[in-house]
Amino acid sequence: MAPPAVEPLEIAALSKIMDELDYYQLLNVESNASTADIRKAFHISSRNFHPDANRELAGELREQCQQISKRITEAYCVLRDTRRRNSYDSRISDGDSLRIQIAEAKTAHVEQRKAERTGATAQGRQFFGKAEADLKAGNLTGAIQNIQMALTFEAGNAGFKSLLKELRERQKAIS
Amino acid sequence: MAEIAVGIDLGTSNTCVSLMRDGEVQVLDNAFNERTSASVVHFHEDGSVEVGNSAKAKVIHSPAETVSSAKRLIGRYYFSEEVKKAQAVYAYEIVEAANHGVRIEIREEEFSLPEISAMVLREMKQIAERHTGEKVTKAVITVPAYFNDNQRQATKDAGRIAGLEVLRILNEPTAAALAYGFGMGLNQRVAVYDLGGGTFDISVLEIGKDIFEVLATCGDTFLGGDDFDDRIIDLLADDFIAEHGTNPRNDPYAFEKLKLAAENAKKQLSVDEEAHISIEDVLTNDAGEPLGVERTITRAEFALLVQDLIQRTFKVCDEAMQQSDLTVRDLDGVILVGGPTRLSIVREAVTHYFQQEPRNDVDPDEVVSMGAAIHAASLIGEAQDAMLLDVTPLDLRIGVAGGLAEPVIERNTPVPIEQTRTFTTFQDHQESVQIRVYQGDHRMAENNTLLGQFEFSGFEKGPRSDVKIDVTFEIDADGLVNVTASDQATGQQASTQITLSSGLDDAQIEKLIEDDVAGRVTTAGSDDLVATSDAAGELDIPAAPPAPAAPQTNEAPQEPSLFGDGTTDFSVDRPDDLIDLSEGDDADLDLMDDDELAQLAGDPVEPDDVISLDTPVELPKEDDGFFDTSGDDLSAEPELELDEEDK
Repeated sequence: MAPPAVEPLEIAALSKIMDELDYYQLLNVESNASTADIRKAFHISSRNFHPDANRELAGELREQCQQISKRITEAYCVLRDTRRRNSYDSRISDGDSLRIQIAEAKTAHVEQRKAERTGATAQGRQFFGKAEADLKAGNLTGAIQNIQMALTFEAGNAGFKSLLKELRERQKAIS
Repeated sequence: MAEIAVGIDLGTSNTCVSLMRDGEVQVLDNAFNERTSASVVHFHEDGSVEVGNSAKAKVIHSPAETVSSAKRLIGRYYFSEEVKKAQAVYAYEIVEAANHGVRIEIREEEFSLPEISAMVLREMKQIAERHTGEKVTKAVITVPAYFNDNQRQATKDAGRIAGLEVLRILNEPTAAALAYGFGMGLNQRVAVYDLGGGTFDISVLEIGKDIFEVLATCGDTFLGGDDFDDRIIDLLADDFIAEHGTNPRNDPYAFEKLKLAAENAKKQLSVDEEAHISIEDVLTNDAGEPLGVERTITRAEFALLVQDLIQRTFKVCDEAMQQSDLTVRDLDGVILVGGPTRLSIVREAVTHYFQQEPRNDVDPDEVVSMGAAIHAASLIGEAQDAMLLDVTPLDLRIGVAGGLAEPVIERNTPVPIEQTRTFTTFQDHQESVQIRVYQGDHRMAENNTLLGQFEFSGFEKGPRSDVKIDVTFEIDADGLVNVTASDQATGQQASTQITLSSGLDDAQIEKLIEDDVAGRVTTAGSDDLVATSDAAGELDIPAAPPAPAAPQTNEAPQEPSLFGDGTTDFSVDRPDDLIDLSEGDDADLDLMDDDELAQLAGDPVEPDDVISLDTPVELPKEDDGFFDTSGDDLSAEPELELDEEDK
């Protein structure tokens, strides 16, 4: 039989302090670690704490080991994803909490897409708003000008670009 | 004595068992020296059961007593599209059981799908015992990566009924990658393109020295080689109708003949440029003369027939590549799994899509069971450890007010994982909440697969925002879902291993083990092999254990309604499990009518407060529609963030 991957004492100790560790500490990486480092750390931690690596454990230790394993997966899940990691970083710097819902980042992503649609900067949003008003009033030329203005502030905004393209095509169709 | 643990690839069409001993992986052949056995179960008149290729041969003569492709039905609800399709295609009777479960009725006896699969597994167990001369009681069983919790649980139940301790439910593509990379010291990213008889999976993995990490997996459980056969069947049937004016699809015997011919033609096309089909007696006319069909299919013709099916797999591949954040250029290898990948048209399309030749040093029919055997050996300490870090294939969701289902654990999240959400009650002084758990990618609850529901009560009543209920979702390394709820104030807990519909609870499984349902499987000795494969039903099968009267407590069997009149297009366009129930787009449509709900709320089975679809207890509210928005739903918004309550 393979020996247990980690000492029982280590499991018991980690299980006790787990809630006080942030994800970086849990995975034993620096807070500026690269995604590759985080993946490597996840692999090392998994070798130690994954249920498959600790099949001989029984009772409370087994339970503790499983809890650690699940928390490690959670940490990896958040830190490997830039979006999630950013949300998490701002949360721990606010001193809010050491954990985050992994599904929460999805909402953050939706907000990002919304920003893409209506503008990520104040000026971008302002000119997008004007363009929308122009469209409602039937002023296609005005709308095009305002979207072009919005694009000068957010040159990379894909939502604005496709809107501009669409408006130009509409204009072409009319003339 | 050294323990023995085998790996079993329980396929839709074929099943394969392997064993790793002394560092060597060996595919174990059956008494016929075949390395895979058809996943077909034939029931003899005396109650004994035959499994494998000889059982498959019996389908022509007694299609109603011969069950094939059970994997397509396992873990499904009776109302699902897949069940309807099966009813149209197969001659055996598919009937409804309690809680929308599915049973197969053979000679007035009903069998659950796990029982049917258990018979196939028992055959594998016996094959392994013949090879080792010892009892084999442990196994790793593989499932399509895209299987949901219901299907996984039912497969695990099948293992237990067969008399096996299931060490792990392992994803097929992951097993294939393990067989490919085990002990090779690789550092590669690979894609596993797994087109089986009834399912398609694509997994992208990173393989390190002793770590296999799944980056993403996507799939389609409604797409496989059977669908390719169906296209040829359509062609033959149309020819037949044009020539003789009768639809052969309406006759189960004729249909089985076409099916067998189609399958053989498909296989021939992976070797030859064209396949010639000739069946002299598809049907006989009123005068008793045989009516036949004859046709040649070229590769090019076949390619046209199945092109759209193959394209569908690449849509799924697109998704997997996107989810793994890689492009095809990042891949070091492509591994093909499943019989249909032997087709040159599939290989060419795969080569084109991935911009590289797939590996040809991997046997697509055996690699999965070999990987399962390696993992089995590693789990009992007989082989060096290789860590498998897998993911969950589907969003796990909780039903909330308004008929919505909110994601808690997203697909492609690594497992094991646990997440806790805090919810509040929806009404003042509410006494209980219904917790419904789903898998799927839809916002609307009804468009997802219901895994189970349970009721949580006994918490301290109070104003709606005061009661806080923690719901903890766990997905273990088997991909199985476990949900528990507890009241923050009292700490009272309710929990259930979510179990399913098709519905075997622990007591039922224990009973089946005790009755040794799987013991009906008689492994043919090599002596009577030749005889068994031809003389259907006439042969005395020796020494079947006394068949226990196993009929379950179900109502009288129903006639299966036959969908499709023979002109049915068998290509299913990946329907949702619940698609037939509500055509409307209204958010608060009830999924089930009152009768169904009453049935669902049926007999109390277990004394504890755990509720699942299998073991429902009486629900206190009369109007507990699955998706109604009445008071006992959880509030849509989690009241607290996880972090706050965890401190």
